[in-house]
Amino acid sequence: MKTESMITADNLWFTYDGEDIPALQGLSLDIKRGSKTAVMGANGSGKSTFFLCLNGILRPQKGALSFCGAPYSYDKKSLLNLRSRIGIVFQDPDNQLFSASVRQEISFGILNLGADNETALRETEKIMDALDITELKDRPTHALSGGQKKQVAVADILVMHPDIVILDEPAAALDPKHTDMLNKIIDQMTESGITVLISTHDPDYAFSWADQIILFHQGKVLKAGSPLEVFSDRPALNLTNLSQPAVLSIYESLCRKKMINEKFPAPRSLMELLHFIEGI
Amino acid sequence: MMLIDQYGYRSGLRKVNVMEKFCFSVTTLLLCILSRSFSVSILVLLSLGWLTIRKGGIPVRRYIKLMRIPAVFLLLSTLAILVNISKTPLDAYAVPAGPYYITGSTESVIFGLRLILSSLSAVSCLYFLSLSTPVTDLIGILKKLRCPALLIELFLLIYRFIFVLMSEASAVRISQESRLSCRNFKTAVRAFGGMASALFIRAVMRSGRLYDAMESRCYDGTIRVLLEEYPPKKKEIICMILFELLLLSITIGRNIYI
Repeated sequence: MKTESMITADNLWFTYDGEDIPALQGLSLDIKRGSKTAVMGANGSGKSTFFLCLNGILRPQKGALSFCGAPYSYDKKSLLNLRSRIGIVFQDPDNQLFSASVRQEISFGILNLGADNETALRETEKIMDALDITELKDRPTHALSGGQKKQVAVADILVMHPDIVILDEPAAALDPKHTDMLNKIIDQMTESGITVLISTHDPDYAFSWADQIILFHQGKVLKAGSPLEVFSDRPALNLTNLSQPAVLSIYESLCRKKMINEKFPAPRSLMELLHFIEGI
Repeated sequence: MMLIDQYGYRSGLRKVNVMEKFCFSVTTLLLCILSRSFSVSILVLLSLGWLTIRKGGIPVRRYIKLMRIPAVFLLLSTLAILVNISKTPLDAYAVPAGPYYITGSTESVIFGLRLILSSLSAVSCLYFLSLSTPVTDLIGILKKLRCPALLIELFLLIYRFIFVLMSEASAVRISQESRLSCRNFKTAVRAFGGMASALFIRAVMRSGRLYDAMESRCYDGTIRVLLEEYPPKKKEIICMILFELLLLSITIGRNIYI
């Protein structure tokens, strides 16, 4: 199943009005169905621009994008269809939440898909229940904490039952508790078969969670591959202002000191490494 | 979060049908203004105050504080009716001040007090509605009143943006104050100008981002959201009608009697 391409980008170019340097400079990549992809790179490397292109908000000036093998079409009907299948959770929830109450906010997407009020209410309540935010339903969106706003922003998208969910720096400005909560929601999404793309600056999380890492640099893909492959490439990490995940650094150090046999697969998290060491 | 908005969400009357509350407060307000009677005004002031405080759960001190704002404004604006400066004393009161008297006639005092009372009772009607009904629910009323969709959408977005811009303004102000923006009048004025321009730019940028976010959720020019619906209750409607009939009979009775 995972070999089927969901999204293919081929040589994308995009320049914002009034800017001299293109935000995307020949970006090409491939996202497989059901995959967990972490998009990483320095600020201004083109991650958010690429996400907006995926959702059809921005239209690349050059290059081709295709979804499930079909090239993007920018007429109204095709865009509505595309946006119903590719959902995007924006980095700052204050840029996404516009309604006065949480229930109104979540119902917006599904009502736009043509659902009747009854279905919309049922689906809205179902998603609030799944994300454990039912108690917030009557609260005004401006009275929510940062973490709660993020949960509502995710619910906004999940209620539309998209095939792909894009999360633009989901853990930005969240405390550890809300980050954990959000990570659990992301795990639920991937378990239910949704293809998830996240942009993050957290190498530890990306290494433990993703099955594909894509490094962006100056509007194009610098390196793409498995987490181990990408995070072992130190020059690429330096170029993108990233550090190696702690678990990988420790693992490599232990291997160098011959305390762990290199034949063992690299652990993905500190817990795995701990079990590993305990088993020696 | 604004205090009135907060009370609206917490009010014990929140789950009373919005249209009921709207009709009740508007009819009572109209009767207060039309009757211009002491008894109607006092009755409305007391009963709506009781409803807002007792049933709605608004703290008495807070309610009095809220009422004080229009009361001060009303006193100041009716001062010209209540107080005269004249060489001859009038019948209601007269305080000598040199060759002049600070004085007032019984008629003008009664007129002024009647004006203050009926205005205050009208304000209490509006407070009743705003302290028991969150803005989200008011959207439902606008829809039922067949207000143009464009205005409702503007209302919704402006409401949301008030809070977004307020938090932006507060962040900018804190950042300015931490850098001694209020050292003197000149720096304070400059900082205020800086904040205003920063807010304007941020508002434009945010509106662009918000539009993108709405478009990404299949927005096609019409905002569709689920509205809160609380079913009307017979008992409440009967009580409201009886209250309005009482006010109406006092108004009519007073007119016949006079």
